[in-house]
Amino acid sequence: MNHSADHTDSTLEVKPDNIVHLPLGLLGFEDHKQYVLLAQAEETPFLWLQMLEAPHQAFLVIPPTHVSADYQPELGQEDVEFLGLEAPEDAWVLNIVTLRPSGEATVNLKGPIVLNRKTLKGKQVIPLNATECALRHPLGAA
Amino acid sequence: MLILSRKVQESIVIDGRIVVKVVRIDGDQVKLGIEAPNSVPVHRQEIYDEIQRSNREALTSTRPALPRLSPQPLASAPPEPGATTVKLQTPVKTTTPKNLEDSNGY
Repeated sequence: MNHSADHTDSTLEVKPDNIVHLPLGLLGFEDHKQYVLLAQAEETPFLWLQMLEAPHQAFLVIPPTHVSADYQPELGQEDVEFLGLEAPEDAWVLNIVTLRPSGEATVNLKGPIVLNRKTLKGKQVIPLNATECALRHPLGAA
Repeated sequence: MLILSRKVQESIVIDGRIVVKVVRIDGDQVKLGIEAPNSVPVHRQEIYDEIQRSNREALTSTRPALPRLSPQPLASAPPEPGATTVKLQTPVKTTTPKNLEDSNGY
């Protein structure tokens, strides 16, 4: 694997159906509202959430089903309405992974990114049960 | 910093569209009701701060080697990743303002 290449070398091209719209941005990145979700077979189950207008900047994300078997974020009514979710199945949850220079990898379960699968509109939500969710859940520990 | 005195059930209006109401005072705890448009995110400061810090730390401009994980979801997880992992708060079908007494925390 090339350790120095940026995210533009992905095998998945940027096209409308993998562009994700986060109208409120991510916390601390409120000005970046358009992202592209990139996946490569050899990186499964990880995905890259790359800033559309800054292709060198990306977040590593992972579906939480690969992180914790009993994780179930509870979305408040405002978030449900904002995302236009009609059923739990409409929600596509991705959690941000932090890779540290030490090699330690943790997953933020406290502030998941929830996308509406049908519209690809998303938001970094703070679930109602966030206090039960770890900010730094060790990757690899169920 | 602007400092205003308010009694229980009194409110302040911000920018003509955000209402912050003092719902209850119990010792050193104040319960606030906040009505704001969907486009105005409202967060507890300490949670906002820690998630913001975590996001900044996670942002990367390189493509590092990734930890090895099984492509299969964990045993008791739903078969389709993300499919049934959220619980939705049932919308309150009412035309009156939402119950500001609601003590649902994060």
